[in-house]
Amino acid sequence: MTLEIVYHDDYLLHEHSPTHPERRERLMYTMDQMQEEGVFDLDMVELVEPEAASEEALARVHTPDYLDRLKEMSMRGGGSLSGDTHVSEHTWHQSRLAAGGVVRGCRDVVEDSCESSFVMARPGGHHAFADRGHGFCFTNNTAVAVREIQESYDEVDRVLVWDWDAHHFDGTQEIFYSDPSVLTMSVHQTGRTLFPGTGYVDEVGEDEGEGFNVNVPVLPKTGDSGYLRVVEEVFEPVAREYDPDLVFVEAGQDCHFTDPITDLGVTADGYRRMMERAVDLAEDVSGGDLVASLCGGYGIEGGLPYTNLAVVASMAGLDTSNIREPAVYQPPQRQPDVDDVVAKVKSTHDEYWNL
Amino acid sequence: MIVGVDAGGTNVDAAVVGEDGVQETAKLPAEDVSATVLRDLFREISDGYTVDRVVVSTTRVLNRIVQDRLPSCSSVLVPGVGLAVEHAFAADDNQVVRGCIDHRGRVTESPVVDAEPRHPVVAVTAKFSPRNPSVEEEVAEELEADVVALGHEAGGRLDFPGRAATTAANARSKPAFQEFREAVASATEDLSFNAPVYVLRGDGSMVGEGKASDAPASTTRSGPASSSVGLLALSGERDAVCVDVGGTTTDVTPAVDGYPLTREGYEHDGFSTFYEGVSSGDLPLGGDTRVTEDGLARRREDYAAAFGGEAPAFTDALNVLGAGVGDTDASETAFADAGLSEADAETVVEEYVAELSDAVESAVEEAEGSPEVAVFGGALAGCLSSRLEEEVDLDVVVPEHADVCGAVGCAAAKVSVRTEVHVDSPRGRMTVSSVGSRSKSVEKGRRYSGEELHDVVVEETVEETKAAGGDAGVEDVEVLDVRRFNVVEDGKVEGEIADAVARVKPGIRWL
Ligand SMILES: [Zn+2]
Repeated sequence: MTLEIVYHDDYLLHEHSPTHPERRERLMYTMDQMQEEGVFDLDMVELVEPEAASEEALARVHTPDYLDRLKEMSMRGGGSLSGDTHVSEHTWHQSRLAAGGVVRGCRDVVEDSCESSFVMARPGGHHAFADRGHGFCFTNNTAVAVREIQESYDEVDRVLVWDWDAHHFDGTQEIFYSDPSVLTMSVHQTGRTLFPGTGYVDEVGEDEGEGFNVNVPVLPKTGDSGYLRVVEEVFEPVAREYDPDLVFVEAGQDCHFTDPITDLGVTADGYRRMMERAVDLAEDVSGGDLVASLCGGYGIEGGLPYTNLAVVASMAGLDTSNIREPAVYQPPQRQPDVDDVVAKVKSTHDEYWNL
Repeated sequence: MIVGVDAGGTNVDAAVVGEDGVQETAKLPAEDVSATVLRDLFREISDGYTVDRVVVSTTRVLNRIVQDRLPSCSSVLVPGVGLAVEHAFAADDNQVVRGCIDHRGRVTESPVVDAEPRHPVVAVTAKFSPRNPSVEEEVAEELEADVVALGHEAGGRLDFPGRAATTAANARSKPAFQEFREAVASATEDLSFNAPVYVLRGDGSMVGEGKASDAPASTTRSGPASSSVGLLALSGERDAVCVDVGGTTTDVTPAVDGYPLTREGYEHDGFSTFYEGVSSGDLPLGGDTRVTEDGLARRREDYAAAFGGEAPAFTDALNVLGAGVGDTDASETAFADAGLSEADAETVVEEYVAELSDAVESAVEEAEGSPEVAVFGGALAGCLSSRLEEEVDLDVVVPEHADVCGAVGCAAAKVSVRTEVHVDSPRGRMTVSSVGSRSKSVEKGRRYSGEELHDVVVEETVEETKAAGGDAGVEDVEVLDVRRFNVVEDGKVEGEIADAVARVKPGIRWL
């Protein structure tokens, strides 16, 4: 199995502030872990450098006004889009490079130069809307890549975006809300307890896109078994019925139990199992075409190095039996079940899907 | 004066080099270089000179590898969590010890040493040990072993499987290297040299003998490194193919812009390292290569008859054709006794030159066509150069003292110690390792910019180079790697951990 890892050293440039949770050590610690593991020396893994996304590609998703504003603010040396989303001199370049990384990953998978691809970029993108950004996101990298791929390749009509970030993908949901050619599904910590406060079950899409947006908000502390049940009982059946040409995972690693800004209970092993399910699903529905892109994840010491390694190893088909957190980190003992939300999703989406 | 010593597989060469170039040279046949041999050699050349430093290159480790004479080793691994440990299995006995160091160098699971190595030669390698050597030290202390190599001493880079293999290679190389080191120490002591001893690594850089003993597998390509540096220094050529004919092999090394090309890693039959070394192609053919009725036998049994062996070898074939090297009568007799004729001699010399010219041409290709000259060294260079010149599209030169080019190369190599700086500012500590290792304190919690760290490692490298007898300026330092990250605890930046590696660019004192 060949896996391409898309990374650029310039992904380390942008910084909100040195202690902001979305900081460069998120990638540095993971790169250290992968280098020390010898991941990049393995025959089945290839490390590639992306180019920045074109302005034309960005303009398929974002409004000219917003792009101008972002570019101008960054060129000027800084500013902010919201209380916690700061623009730096590097933001414009790096956001384009992050979007370009996702484009590169999708292209290489569709063109079969690799079997799957993991994009390790920052900043993330799923909270970016057509005309604004917040939640540490500036450009919606996933949307830029999906549009670019749909435009460039006749063989890609339908794309599945499966977002397992702890936060609801408000930007992505809105961009594709009335578009049936992109099935968007998110499992996240309920908006009652976490930013951005959206993502309820009844947000199902509109117009032609009605039924093509699936939200599964889970309770705080939900862990591996809850997440796996959501995958089995909601995502897999809907995805199989939809039968996409490309499976895209928005791989937010902030469901990890050590994450400082969320309150969930997923372990590195839980991430491993979710990614294995995604790999199997892609085998069945899209000829194995699978792209994953790092989204959130702020447990830079106890979380990211291990969750990212678990995800990468699963995608590359490596032995994952020794991938876990070191013993100094222990997941929460008591975890809520997902019975209620799964039942609610099933009844709400009953008219669109065979659940 | 600088004394250069090149201990090859069959001969040991020495040269005294000073401001005015090569002063003295000597060559002695020796298969295993003993203190006695070195003492004789030093006595012959050093009389009347003040010796400032001794620089040695040795193929002892390489010879033992090729002859399959290195001891087996037990590799004790502390993989912590992560990919399957089998990726790091590099020895014929691999044992796994529980314990874990994380990317920050914190011990996140204490080691539990229940390994029982099968061999007395042991390598201990922990994941992330360059960030915290204590676990390897602790494990090594609890093992019963005669020889121990530690992963963090192999070099600071992050690559657990590569480091495990390199550490095993170091452990296996230690006994052979230690014998050589003791022989050198005893010979220099007897002659009251009172000068520091340096060892040439395979990339032509130089380290103190103590540091070299921790990582002797880094010397595996020091033979072609010393000879190519010597040939460049003697000829003044900057773009060339360097050819050194030895007793057992012929090394062919391309050089561009005044230095041999290098490549990373060495691998031979289960012995593998991540060290950089000169990019040489070795023909398994040299002056002692046995000649039979089937031609060149591609192996060495003994010296050529011209130098005291019994059976005919390649040098003897050259003598039969009139080369005049060593005892030519012995060569004639050996050839006749083996039922070989002058025509047979011509055939093997042509066979050799054909293989050599292929190797020279691929070296030109590797150097992307820039060399226009082949610089030829070794005792047989003089009698082969015109034949080579007929076959290749290059001028072939044999500089003066080319017969001891390896020894000259040791003396002509610039002092180029490699220096590693590790800063742990939350703990207020900086460690500088090069020839030795020293610690100093830094302001607690200090954060460096990339530039500041760059400057720190450059400064330390210049200082270490001076201490080692070199005279590098800031402009000679090449920074190989700078990595730094903030240590954030409870949302507060507590300082940073940084690693920087630099070296004085290996270079040549042109003679
Ligand atoms: Zn998130």
